[in-house]
Amino acid sequence: MIASAHSADKKVFEISSLSNEVKELRSAFVDNRGKLMGLKKESYIETKMKEKGIGISLNPPIKIIVKSSNK
Amino acid sequence: MATTETNILNRLYFVAGCMFVFALAVVFKLCTIQFVDGDKYRAMAQKRTIKRFDIPANRGNVYSADGSLLATSIPKYDIAIDAVTSTDKNFNKYIKPLCDSLAVFTGKTSSGIEKKISKARKTKNQYLLLLTNLSYSEFVRVRNFPLFKLGSIRGGFVYDQTTKREHPLGGIAERSIGYERKDENNYYTRVGIDGAFGKDYLRGTNGKRLKQKIGKGEWKPIQDVNEIEPKNGYDIYTTIDVNIQDIAHHSLLGQLEEYEAEHGCVVVMDVKTGEIKAISNLGRNREGKYYERLNYAVGESHEPGSTFKVMAMMAALEDKVIDTSTVIDTKNGSKRFYGRTIYDSGAGHGKISAAKALEVSSNIGLATIIDDNYKNNPEKFLKRLRQWRLNDTLGVSIIGEGIPDIPYPGASNWSRNALPSISYGYNMRLTPLQTLAFYNAIANNGQLIKPRFLRAVKEFDRNIEVFDKEVLVDKICSDQTLSKIKDILKNIVVRGTGKKLYSETFSMAGKTGTAWTDYADIEAWRKDRKYVSSFAGYFPVENPKYSCIVVIHKPSTKVGFYGADVSGPVFKRIAQKIYTDTPLIDEIQPVEYNNPQVVKDFEKFNSISNTYKTIMPNLVGVAAMDAVAFLENMDVKVNVKLRGSGVIKSQSISKDIKLKSNQTVVLEAS
Repeated sequence: MIASAHSADKKVFEISSLSNEVKELRSAFVDNRGKLMGLKKESYIETKMKEKGIGISLNPPIKIIVKSSNK
Repeated sequence: MATTETNILNRLYFVAGCMFVFALAVVFKLCTIQFVDGDKYRAMAQKRTIKRFDIPANRGNVYSADGSLLATSIPKYDIAIDAVTSTDKNFNKYIKPLCDSLAVFTGKTSSGIEKKISKARKTKNQYLLLLTNLSYSEFVRVRNFPLFKLGSIRGGFVYDQTTKREHPLGGIAERSIGYERKDENNYYTRVGIDGAFGKDYLRGTNGKRLKQKIGKGEWKPIQDVNEIEPKNGYDIYTTIDVNIQDIAHHSLLGQLEEYEAEHGCVVVMDVKTGEIKAISNLGRNREGKYYERLNYAVGESHEPGSTFKVMAMMAALEDKVIDTSTVIDTKNGSKRFYGRTIYDSGAGHGKISAAKALEVSSNIGLATIIDDNYKNNPEKFLKRLRQWRLNDTLGVSIIGEGIPDIPYPGASNWSRNALPSISYGYNMRLTPLQTLAFYNAIANNGQLIKPRFLRAVKEFDRNIEVFDKEVLVDKICSDQTLSKIKDILKNIVVRGTGKKLYSETFSMAGKTGTAWTDYADIEAWRKDRKYVSSFAGYFPVENPKYSCIVVIHKPSTKVGFYGADVSGPVFKRIAQKIYTDTPLIDEIQPVEYNNPQVVKDFEKFNSISNTYKTIMPNLVGVAAMDAVAFLENMDVKVNVKLRGSGVIKSQSISKDIKLKSNQTVVLEAS
């Protein structure tokens, strides 16, 4: 009885430390995801590329699709 | 008195009696504690070691259409110091390094922080707040600072953890993504998408559970089963496209800054589905910086000005009271209506067609068309507007939609002048979103759709609810009227008031608007002119994909104020972005032409390179390009020198001679 109560207590401590770790990882994930989203933004890339003299294309890229006739 | 037996017995009885009474009193007290006050004490005992805990439900996340996080809940930390608890020895030893670390962390001076903490120690302050709103990684960093490292008792490290709503996109679309906040009186402030869908989907329900106190400040659950299980909130997937949102936000910001405007908004809507792809609302604060202040696009109903001329024109076309070719006399820039003069910008347009009147955005033109044809029956005109639901809110999910106002005979703001005023967008109110929904209907072949912000509600990968388009009016007008108005909208950009926006590579259609605002005191207005510049339309012209409205309030008239100058470029930038993001597709048939010479050369090259690995082949007559490639791919390493180009005429080493490593071969070509 006493032993099992103690082992239950131990599990409670473990759960609380694990849930803290989850929080920490989640927080780090959101932090980094936010940073990534900032870096991925077109407006950010635009300002960064301006330094190198590269601007946004006025025309879209052209995809050339060769229709295969070996059917 | 003699000591008799009776005497002794009496004394004995007395003592025994006293003891009996005492015993009774003890029993009585026991009983009162056990039975009379029992419940009270038992409750008290339980309260100390057993507590009912709320298990908070996790609030759902808000995602964009492509799955980027727009809003999520993460723990944030506030850090304080208990300046009293640490010993003199520790305090004196670590205070300096601690303040240095804090100074690096906050950017404040170390001495300033030290002064504050020392003062707190003197005044026995046990809670001096140092840092707020730290992320977990920052929290871990601060926790390892000198003194704090010693913990709460020896180092005085105190922290509070709270769950905060975070927008990973930062200031972009902040107001539309929104939040939900509960105050002490359980009153919810509900802003944007997060607020609108909080109650139904995001919040979830808190659970409850009994817990017993164990060591280290921890509590353990008493029963296996929670009394009430917490239910986490659902995730919601919005229609926002992060890329379009980003472009919309930054181009709006750029224009606001250039024109020093007070505030502005831009909304991009998917023509076919009514999904809002981007919504940006920026207002200026006292320092002149722009940020998401209010949801102007949804909440602010104002006089739309010239963008409303399209509705007026369509009503007249649909009622067949005019045609696009009907000649309208717009005079020379001013005309009196019921004792009030209406002006056109510039020197006037004279006699022009109705279509032209809309292209050049003539106030007089539209006022004349509507007044001439509806003055005897304004109800007919207003019925059209009501049929298009322009007098009604759209019922969008974001709370606080502005209420439109179109006057009618008998209303306090009705007069004979109301009709001509409405025809060019004055004496009435609409929100930008309501105007946009109408333009979207034009682009969508007459089907009026409710703008919406939500795609789906999910629990992990399971759909809880999926939202589809909601049709408000199936067909607002006939196909003839639609094609006529589409033509005019296209021509406005090609040659009308929007011609500055014209681009050869991609097409747009739309209407400019430059409305007066805050003109109640006309004298003050003339001294400091305030305008609302707008542009509403769709793109591309053929088979429209997106509709868009840009409204900018009170640009600096020193820089410019016309709709085409102030708001148009934002529209164009978005249209261009979407144009350049969609690759043009060019399909070609495969070229399967066999040149016998090429086939022959190829076979010859193949046979040479398969046979000759170390022995010089005969290269005369072989193309120089092939000859060099062949020699360089041999198993022996030779240096090739080529003179001339074309076909090989001679080779310095004759054929069938075994090549040595690093030998030089000179080839002569014609």
